[in-house]
Amino acid sequence: MVYQIARKDFLNNLLSARFIIGFMLCLVLIPFSILINIDDYRDQTNQCRLDRAAADKNIKEVRVYSGLRPEIIIPPEPLSIFSRGISGQVGNRVGVRLGEKPLLAEGKIAARDNPFLASFFSADFVQIAAIIFSLLALLFSYDIFTREKEDGTLKLQMSNSLGRSQFLAGKVLGILGTLLPVLVFSFLLSAVLILFSKNVFFSAVEWGRIGLLFAVSLLYLAVFIFIGLFISARSKTSVTSLVLCLFIWVFFVFIVPNLSAYFAESFVRVQSRENLNRMLENLDKEFGRVQSDRYKAQSISETYNASWRSSGDDGYIETYGNSRIEFEAQRRRSMISEPLRIDYADKKWTHQEAYLESLAHQARVAERLSAISPAGFFRIIAAAICATDMRSHEHEMDRVRQYREAFVRYLQNKNIFTSFRYITPAPPETFLTEDQLIEKKTGGEFKTVQAFDAWAAQQKDARAAWLKLSKNKIQGDQPSDFPYLDVSDMPGFQERSKSLFSGLENSILNIALLLIESILLFYIGYVAFIRYDVR
Amino acid sequence: MLRTILKREILHNLYSLRFLISLSLLVGVFIAGSFSFVKGYDANIKNYQESQAQFLDEMKTQAKESATRLAVKQRAYTLRPRTNGFISDAKEKYLPNAIVFSAWNVFSFQNKSGSTNPFLNKFDELNWSFIVCLILSFVALLFTFDAVSGEKETKTLALALSNSVSRGTLLFGKYVSAILTFLAMVLPGIILSGLVVLLSGRVSLGPVFVLETVGFLVVAILMAAVLAAFGLLCSVAARNSNISLLLALAFWILFVVVVPNSSTFIAKTFFPIAKTEAIQKKVWAAFDDLNKSAPPGSWMSSSNPFLPQHELRANLQRKRLEAEKGIRDAYYQSLFRQFEKTRLLTAVSPVPLFQYLTEAVTGGGYPRFRKVWNDFHVYQGQFLAFFKNLDAQDPKSPHWYNPFDIVSTTRKPVAFETVPQFVEKPMTFTERVRPILVFFVINIVYACLVFFLSFALFVRYDVR
Repeated sequence: MVYQIARKDFLNNLLSARFIIGFMLCLVLIPFSILINIDDYRDQTNQCRLDRAAADKNIKEVRVYSGLRPEIIIPPEPLSIFSRGISGQVGNRVGVRLGEKPLLAEGKIAARDNPFLASFFSADFVQIAAIIFSLLALLFSYDIFTREKEDGTLKLQMSNSLGRSQFLAGKVLGILGTLLPVLVFSFLLSAVLILFSKNVFFSAVEWGRIGLLFAVSLLYLAVFIFIGLFISARSKTSVTSLVLCLFIWVFFVFIVPNLSAYFAESFVRVQSRENLNRMLENLDKEFGRVQSDRYKAQSISETYNASWRSSGDDGYIETYGNSRIEFEAQRRRSMISEPLRIDYADKKWTHQEAYLESLAHQARVAERLSAISPAGFFRIIAAAICATDMRSHEHEMDRVRQYREAFVRYLQNKNIFTSFRYITPAPPETFLTEDQLIEKKTGGEFKTVQAFDAWAAQQKDARAAWLKLSKNKIQGDQPSDFPYLDVSDMPGFQERSKSLFSGLENSILNIALLLIESILLFYIGYVAFIRYDVR
Repeated sequence: MLRTILKREILHNLYSLRFLISLSLLVGVFIAGSFSFVKGYDANIKNYQESQAQFLDEMKTQAKESATRLAVKQRAYTLRPRTNGFISDAKEKYLPNAIVFSAWNVFSFQNKSGSTNPFLNKFDELNWSFIVCLILSFVALLFTFDAVSGEKETKTLALALSNSVSRGTLLFGKYVSAILTFLAMVLPGIILSGLVVLLSGRVSLGPVFVLETVGFLVVAILMAAVLAAFGLLCSVAARNSNISLLLALAFWILFVVVVPNSSTFIAKTFFPIAKTEAIQKKVWAAFDDLNKSAPPGSWMSSSNPFLPQHELRANLQRKRLEAEKGIRDAYYQSLFRQFEKTRLLTAVSPVPLFQYLTEAVTGGGYPRFRKVWNDFHVYQGQFLAFFKNLDAQDPKSPHWYNPFDIVSTTRKPVAFETVPQFVEKPMTFTERVRPILVFFVINIVYACLVFFLSFALFVRYDVR
C-alpha cells in the first residue's frame, strides 16, 4: 500500500509544473555555479604556479644563510569548486621569517587583480544547492496533506483500511522519490563538468568527499521536506501553507546566514589589527634597544663600513669586499641579534595569538548562530567536507608555523649564526686587512688607510675618493663572484596529505545533529498529522 | 473606477496572511539590524578615531623634525565610517577604504587589513538596503504573482471585467496597489528602525536624515515598481497561479542570486584587465631605463645638502615618480572602468540596480571612494605647493626637489597647524546623482517596459 501511494505521488509530481521548473532551475544554476568556480579555481592554480615559481627562484638564488627565508605557497583546494568556505578571503602565501611567526596568509586574494571586485559576492555549488534543494523540498511538501484535503481525496483514502503512518510513509517516499533523481542529477552533472574540464584533477579522496557531500545534501533535503510536512499538517489550506513555507525558506536560507554574521561582527568584537601592529612595533623597538645594549656590552660597533651590504630586513645581511675587522664585527653582531630575534618572535606571538583567537572566536559565534538554520548548518558541514573552512585553514597555518620551527632548528643545528656563512659566501681565509684592501683597490697607489684618507681629504670633488676605490675590481667584492648556496639539506614543507575523514571530527557531531534535527522534525510532523482533521 | 479597484486591492492585500507575515518579519529584521548597527558603529568609530589619532601624531612628529620629512613620508588616509550606514553600507568594508599619499603623489588605495575578519564568510549587513533587496523584492513578487491568474481561478476576474472597466485600468490598479502595499510594509520598519537609531544618539534628526530617508523610499519604490511589474508579467503569462508562482520564484532567484553572484565572472570574462604582476614589471622596466640613462654617481649621498650628486638624484627620482605614476594611474583607470562596466551590466537585475541607487542616496560606496580619490589629488597639489613655498623661504636649502629623499630640501621644522589637512566633504546632490543617473533611467525604462509587456499579454488573456 505504501508503495502504491509513493508511486502515485511520484507520477503525479513528475508531471507537475513545479517539477519541470525546479528541474530546469537545477539544470541552469548547478552548471552555472560549477563552471564559474572551475574558472576561479583555474585562476587560483595559475596564480599559485606563478607564486611558487617566484618562491623557488628566490630560494635557489641565495648566497648567504641570512638571505634564506622560504616562502610557503598554499595550493588552492580542488573541492573549493563545491564549497568555497573562507578560501576566497585568505591569501595563499606565507613568508617564513625569523623575527615573526606567520600570522595570516598573504597574497592576492582569490587571484583577483581588481580590489573593487571584492565587493561582489559569488555563490558556489553548496550555496546554490542550499537555495534550490530547500525550495524544491518545500514546494513538494507544502501541500502534502492540504491539497488532498482540498480535493476531497484525503477523506476517501482514510476511509479505507489505511493507517495514517502508512499514508505518511507513502507520501514522504513519493517526494523523496521525486527529488532524489534531481539531487543525483545535480551531482552527476557537476561530476561530468569536472571530469571534462582541463587542468582540474580530482583524486579518489576528493570523489569520496563528494560522496559525503551528497549524503549530507540528502539529509538537508529531508530536513526541509519534514519542515514542509509539519507546516502542511498545521495549515487549513494550501495557500496558507505555501506562504508560510516560502517565508520560512527566505528566513532560513537568506536572512539567518547574514543575520548571524552581522550579529557576531557587531556584538563580538575583535581586537583591532592596528592595535596589534602597534604592539608588534613596540616589541620591534624593544628588540632594537636590547640588541644595541648587547652590542655595547660586548663593545661591538653599531656602525657599518661595508662596501656591499644588503637591507638587513629580518637579519638579512649579505656583505662583500670588506676588511677582516668589518666581517668579524658583522659576524658578532649576527651572533647576538639572530637568537634574540627568534626570542622576540615568541614574544610577538603571544599578542598575535590573542588576535587570531579573537578573529576565530567571532567566526565561531557566527557559525553557531547560523546553525539555527538548516541551511547554515549545511554550509558549515559542506565547508568542512571540502576542507575550506576556518579549521582546515588554521590547521594548515599551524603546519606552516611548525615548519618555521623546523627551519629555525635547521639553522640552529648548523650553528650558522656564529658562522661567516650567515653573512658572506667568501671564505674567511681570503679576508684582507684594511691596508691590504686599500692597496688592492687603488692598484698599489696607497699602501695604508691613513695615506688614502689623507689624500681623499684634499680632494674637492666628493666623487674622487669613490672613483679611486672603484678603479680596480678585486676578487670577491660582489655577489656574482660566488655561486649560489646549496640548500638541498633544508627541510621542505610537506603538502597536506588528506584522507577521506581527516579533519572531519567536528563535522561528525554536526552531521549527527542535523540527523537528529530531521528525525525530530519528522516526529513532530507525524504527531501533527495524527491529530490532523482530514475532513 | 481606478479608485474602487485600488481600494479593493489594497484592502485585499492588507487583510491577507502574507501581509501579516511579511510585516512581522520586516519589522523584526529592521529592528534587529538597527541595534546591530548601533553596536557595531561604536566599535568602528573607536577604531577609526584611534587610527586617525595615530595618523595625526605621526604627522606632528615629522613636522617637528623637518618639513621635508613630512612631505616625502608615504602615509595612508583612512575613510571615516558613515553615520548613515544603517540605510546602506554599500559594501564599503570590502571596498578600498584607505588612500596612500605623500606631498608628491597619491600613490595607491588599499583595503586596510583588519577592516574585515577573514575567517567570517562575506555577508550583507542587515541595513535598510539589504532588507529591501532581499525581503521586499520577494514580497513585491509575492503580492503580484497571482494578481491575474489567482483571480481567474476564483472566477472573479471575468466578473470584474464584465463591468465597464478596461483591462488597462484593472491591471494598472493592481500594479499601483501592489506598490502601495509595499510602501505600507516598508514604512513601519523604517520608522521603527529610524527611531532606534535616533534614540541611540548616533544620528541626529536633521534635514539630511529626512532627505536621505525620503530618497531611500523613492528608490525602494522604483525597485518595487520593476519587481511588481515582473510579478504581473508572471501572473498574465500563466493560466494558473501555481505556475505564476514558480515563474516568479525563478525570476527572483535570477535577480537576487544569479546576477549579483556572477558579477566577478562577468568582470573577468567580458572586461579583462592586465595582471598586477605585468604592471609591476612595466614599472621596473621603466626604472631600469631611467637608471641607465642617469648620469653616474646619481645615487651618491652625503650629509652636505649641496653635494652636486643630490641634484642628479633628485632629477632621477622625480622622473621615476612620473614614470611610475603614469603607468599606475592608467592601470587604476582600467580598474575603475572594469568595475563600472560590470556594474552597468549587472543592472539587468533590479536588485543590484537598487543597490547602486542607494549608494547615491547615502553618499557612500564606490561613488564616495571615487570622489575622495579625486579630491585627494587636489589636496596633494595643495600640500605640494605648501611644501615648495616653505622650501623656497629657506636659504639653507638647495631646492632640489626629491620625492623620496630628505637631503636636498629644507630641513627646518614646520608648525603642524599650518600644514594643510585633507577633510572629506560630504557629497553634494549633483555629485551623488550624476554617477547614477544612468541607473535611474534604466530603472524607470525597465519598469515601464515590463509593465507594458504584461499589459500586452493581459489584453490577449483569456479571462474565463
